[in-house]
Amino acid sequence: MVEFHRFSLENGLKVIVHQDETTPIVTFNLLYNVGSRDEDPERTGFAHLFEHLMFGGSVNIPVYDEPLERAGGENNAFTSTDITNYYITVPRENLETAFWLESDRMLSLDFSQRSLDIQKSVVIEEFNQRYLNQPYGDAWLLLRPLAYKVHPYRWPTIGKDPKHIMDSNLQEVKDFFFSYYAPNNAILCLSGNVTIDEVKHLANKWFAPIPSREVKPKNLPKEPTQIEQRVMEVTRSVPFHSIYTAFHMCHRLHPDYHVVDLISDILSNGKSSRLYQNLVKGKELFSSIDAYITGEIDEGLLVVAGILNKDVDPYDAQGAIFEELQDLPKSLNEQELEKVKNRLESTFTFGLTNSLDKAMNLCYFELLGDANMINTEVERYRKVTIADVQRVSSRLFNVSNSSTLIYRAEKR
Amino acid sequence: MINRTIPSPVSMPQELHFTKADVHTLSNGIKLLVINKGDEEVCRIDLVFHAGSRYQQVNLQANAALMLMPEGTTNNTSKQISEHFDFYGSFLNIDVDKDYATLSLSSLIKHFPNCIEMLGEIVRTPVYPDKELILWSQRGKHKLLVELEKTSTLAGRAFFGTLFGKTHPYGAMASPDDYDIIAQPQLRSFHSSRIGSNFLIIILSGKIGEHEIALVEKCFGNLTKGNDMSPIPNGIAVDASGRGKVFVEKPNAVQSAIRVGRILFPRTHPDYPAFLILNTILGGYFGSRLMRNIREDKGFTYGINSFLAPFRHSGVFAIATEVGAAYTEPTLKEIYSEMKRLRNEPIADDELLLVKSYLMGEILRNFNGAFPMANSIIKLLYYNELDYSFYDNLFKTIRTITSDRLMEMANKWLIEEEMLECVAGSRET
Repeated sequence: MVEFHRFSLENGLKVIVHQDETTPIVTFNLLYNVGSRDEDPERTGFAHLFEHLMFGGSVNIPVYDEPLERAGGENNAFTSTDITNYYITVPRENLETAFWLESDRMLSLDFSQRSLDIQKSVVIEEFNQRYLNQPYGDAWLLLRPLAYKVHPYRWPTIGKDPKHIMDSNLQEVKDFFFSYYAPNNAILCLSGNVTIDEVKHLANKWFAPIPSREVKPKNLPKEPTQIEQRVMEVTRSVPFHSIYTAFHMCHRLHPDYHVVDLISDILSNGKSSRLYQNLVKGKELFSSIDAYITGEIDEGLLVVAGILNKDVDPYDAQGAIFEELQDLPKSLNEQELEKVKNRLESTFTFGLTNSLDKAMNLCYFELLGDANMINTEVERYRKVTIADVQRVSSRLFNVSNSSTLIYRAEKR
Repeated sequence: MINRTIPSPVSMPQELHFTKADVHTLSNGIKLLVINKGDEEVCRIDLVFHAGSRYQQVNLQANAALMLMPEGTTNNTSKQISEHFDFYGSFLNIDVDKDYATLSLSSLIKHFPNCIEMLGEIVRTPVYPDKELILWSQRGKHKLLVELEKTSTLAGRAFFGTLFGKTHPYGAMASPDDYDIIAQPQLRSFHSSRIGSNFLIIILSGKIGEHEIALVEKCFGNLTKGNDMSPIPNGIAVDASGRGKVFVEKPNAVQSAIRVGRILFPRTHPDYPAFLILNTILGGYFGSRLMRNIREDKGFTYGINSFLAPFRHSGVFAIATEVGAAYTEPTLKEIYSEMKRLRNEPIADDELLLVKSYLMGEILRNFNGAFPMANSIIKLLYYNELDYSFYDNLFKTIRTITSDRLMEMANKWLIEEEMLECVAGSRET
């Protein structure tokens, strides 16, 4: 049971406090409700570029990292399709430094042209390092626009084209900030040896003076139901063929979300899982294979991805994957379902031993509607039945709901 | 109105407080370290064997002998074993490095009795079925072939191979062809010689009570000795550090991977704490000189860092980055110029104070919770013969070090001519 206390400031900032007296470190997690799904299709990658700019100095503090390091703190951030999340861990004594720094960059940034120019270049190198200079690195750049035709999930967080990053200008940076970086579009969580009064005092002192802002409403286009199978082939300089198949699934708050998550676990969580036992070991078609969900807030994807063994035809491999998917609802038994639930409970409980994980989860569940979902999440998985899996998988694993990327190895 | 331009006052702890592990001894003499901490109903057991790749006769022998332990025992097949661990929601992780082989099993307390029993079985009676070995070899070869497409892998292999020499236990690396040669008798012989009570230390962490300790005794108190009777070596010969320049061609690479560094010393060396601080200033944190110069000022890279890679009887200092292919030469030039600055210019008080605070925070983070604490104590076991004064000494050095001492360290250890420089990338840019 994760106990916590919640309150809101008048400007709309939501604050969650989780007291943990066993640790000398305080975790300060700040979630902004903005991700790459909120981007202009002509400026993809902007939310992530913006995350970089948040470290380029704020209105009253020229450098963000230095004062934090001076306080023995550390920080980082990530951007996803749905959210941008900033976190700090700092010795308990120096908690106020975190409030001071984070509130100033919520107040306003420095908006310097030089910082923008440098971070554009850094992000292009990140694009190169993660997506172009790795074998199979561009697969997601190809798979997303194959699976989505309308919804902004059709581009990855890094952006669909480095040109979008290069072309962005300072005015766009300012507009983005005032459209999304607002107390009324953020959730803060403190986890550590802190008191509620202390957090209230600090939140009021540093965040309350920031006015609430007019946040751009989310009018995201709904992805139409896919009605026929999509297949795309590319050839790249890699040692082995690989294959990626994506299926549209329900949104995060849909009652079937946990069913789909467990289906992906039945397929590939652990060495005893079906895809590993049958396709890696039994039929020896793949050297590695994985199934996972993107877990996004709007309708996401369940993806099956694997690297093929030498001389295996990608279409034979695809056929074998579909056989497994069709067999799953027929052959699933109580023992197997219990197994994936046990693994899930274990993973979730281990996550609670880490105060950063806890703070991130509390913010994320609050964004979804209620931070207390952290305490009821395992129960929702426990309730899933074989009948649920059968009902959901028959719709999910329809061929006409699939998008497959065949990633061929160039002959050498 | 609050004044937002003035930093909030900060203070730093003057001493490091952490609980040492309780030490128990099993009836066969195995040392058991217990770290009882945390509220969640979870635990982890780590079996640390002196059975790293330095003890092997042929490439991959240690790796295969350890990785294939869960792939079949006298009582259970590979599939039954993975079903068992998965059903009880436990996670088995096996790691083989140069000095040590470690099996870690994490599980909920309520499932620990079932999980540790199977762990005992795979340690005592693996049978290494031929079919499993063949599959493991195929997959391993595939993964390595994919890895070898990465410039970072190519640069890293060239770096360690050249530093120690490819025949040295710390420089040797498996090639894809080694997977075709490794055979069952080699696995059996490695298991019977090294996987025994005489080479094992056990660490138990999480919410631990008498019951869990009794289970460790039950499952491992009867483990027999490995038949390699030679004592655990307390040294390894390291010739002069490889130096010079190595270029590995990778056609059409959009980025070059760079590794610059040298062989240094183990964590027991008297210069270690001071050099660790110097390394932090150079490239050991986000605000380091290399990051500020090469990422935040020039935008050549997404990241650059420097680190100390420890071995039981040696240590390596390295700078690592991936940069746009056209920035390769300018980056190398800046790397050497940052080393030169550390040799010639004293570090300003302000920067030194910042790094001291940052490092003290880092140490606190390394002891934050049962599992981070277990990880820190395992490192102490790996690299410092479990000498706890290492951390007290490190903390004291951080508080008292001067810029003169750091300049002395730079002039002793950061000499450009003594560095090895490895680049993997494309020349045609």
